[in-house]
Amino acid sequence: MLDVSFSLNPETDTALVGPNGAGKSTLVQALLGILPRQAGEVRLLGAPLSPQGQLPPAIRAQVAYLPQQLPISGRFPLTVAEFVGLGWEPSGLRLPWAGRRGRQAAVRQALARTSCSDLASRLVSALSTGQWKRVLLAFCVVRPRRLLVLDEAQAGLDPQAAEQFQSLLFDLRRSEGWAVLQISHDLDMVRRTCDRVICLNRSLRCVGSPDHALSPPQLERLYGRGYVLYHHHHHGAPASATPPQP
Amino acid sequence: MIPAPLSPPGDWLELLRLPFMQRALLAGLLSGGLGGLLGSVAVLRQLSFFSDALGHSALLGISLGLVLGVEPNLVLIPFAVLFALVVAQLVERSRLPSDALLNIVYSSSLATAVLVLRLAAGRGGSLEQLLFGDILAVSNRDVLVEGVLLVAVLLYLLLTRRSQILVSLDPGLAISQGVAVPWQRLLFVVVLAVVVALSIKAVGVLLVSAFVVIPACAARLLAPDFNRYVLLASGLGAGCGVVGLLLSGLFNLPSGPCVVILQLLVFLGALLLSSRGSWRPSA
Repeated sequence: MLDVSFSLNPETDTALVGPNGAGKSTLVQALLGILPRQAGEVRLLGAPLSPQGQLPPAIRAQVAYLPQQLPISGRFPLTVAEFVGLGWEPSGLRLPWAGRRGRQAAVRQALARTSCSDLASRLVSALSTGQWKRVLLAFCVVRPRRLLVLDEAQAGLDPQAAEQFQSLLFDLRRSEGWAVLQISHDLDMVRRTCDRVICLNRSLRCVGSPDHALSPPQLERLYGRGYVLYHHHHHGAPASATPPQP
Repeated sequence: MIPAPLSPPGDWLELLRLPFMQRALLAGLLSGGLGGLLGSVAVLRQLSFFSDALGHSALLGISLGLVLGVEPNLVLIPFAVLFALVVAQLVERSRLPSDALLNIVYSSSLATAVLVLRLAAGRGGSLEQLLFGDILAVSNRDVLVEGVLLVAVLLYLLLTRRSQILVSLDPGLAISQGVAVPWQRLLFVVVLAVVVALSIKAVGVLLVSAFVVIPACAARLLAPDFNRYVLLASGLGAGCGVVGLLLSGLFNLPSGPCVVILQLLVFLGALLLSSRGSWRPSA
């Protein structure tokens, strides 16, 4: 990946778009320290991220990540409430019952915010894809954060759940000052809800407002000449784009 | 082999009063509990085959100690830890599937150990004893070490519960939550190696992985949440350790295999219960 440089501001929702194989997930994982970084510099909330992915614990606790996929094989004996509680607990050595009441209250609130209260005692391995996505979001919002990174978070959500998801993201930005960076293929959603768009295809192609970054010339530059737009019937507007077919 | 007839009850009580039997029962309780405790995480991390490879490597460590004229117990733990670290790196960096790699490792460890033991013939215990263990031969010191290890492992898992679960679920998510995943993985593998190495004397090389895997698998089928999963795995392990030993004494059968057969029956029972939904998490 070459020549990628950008910054995020509080209270903004920035979309990262591009075709499959553009390096979006790779970039995000390198930003979070999940993948080692070979070159360049990353600063999260003012703190430098080491090439091995280390951040001060106090900074790391303010960053949340919702991965693209998190498959669970077999029966995993962990309830939704237990899992969301792990998002509340700080990193480091700690006895499980420390801060129990605070954790339980925070978990109840997070589950209510993400409409997952009825799933509290379900095993995480027994959830549908959409339910699991909502629970992962509850995991992210169970404690106050400043940066939320989402990798195709709304894939697999029905339209109502997707709207609730977007509503929650808006609330997190405006009421609590979170910065959101989300990878998405849904250009309609990006156009409607995001403040800024970063276009990536192995290198940075464009950064700007949705109107600018998703204009036909920019889309052509990003996806290639002859790109195809697929329309969502319920929105009546271009939804996603793909490169031209061979 | 036809088991000896049941002894009269008076003999059983007399048996239970014997110090070696009391030590064996305590060792069975502690080994079983320890195996279930650690196995609860090992099974989630899909390290079942890894614990098998560790068991086989312990035989190689013992045989090398015998040939070199060093007390085998002094060689065993460092060897097991070193072996675990090397194999863990091999599995992580190799392009081959881990089950194939571990198969190569444990079968060649076993073969090498048998050959090396031929060189050390007469200098150590019998091969059968090493393969199947002899829990009746544990000393007070062995029981004390197992007890201390159980407390240490319990404390380790309690203090790192969050990290253990996150690493088992998804290493990427764990890193994003501040877990030092490479170090956590290495540390777990070292702890597993130490527990396996110290359990060899009582349980034997071939069956030690059963102590780690089977109770945890049974618990995984039944437990409604994580805390009860770990408790159940440890409880089933400890219970099978004690009851299996008693049964082996009753019927004059080898103790290690008796415990493992009982663990298998418990697992089959758990399989039946889970398929009938007798202890399902609430929907």
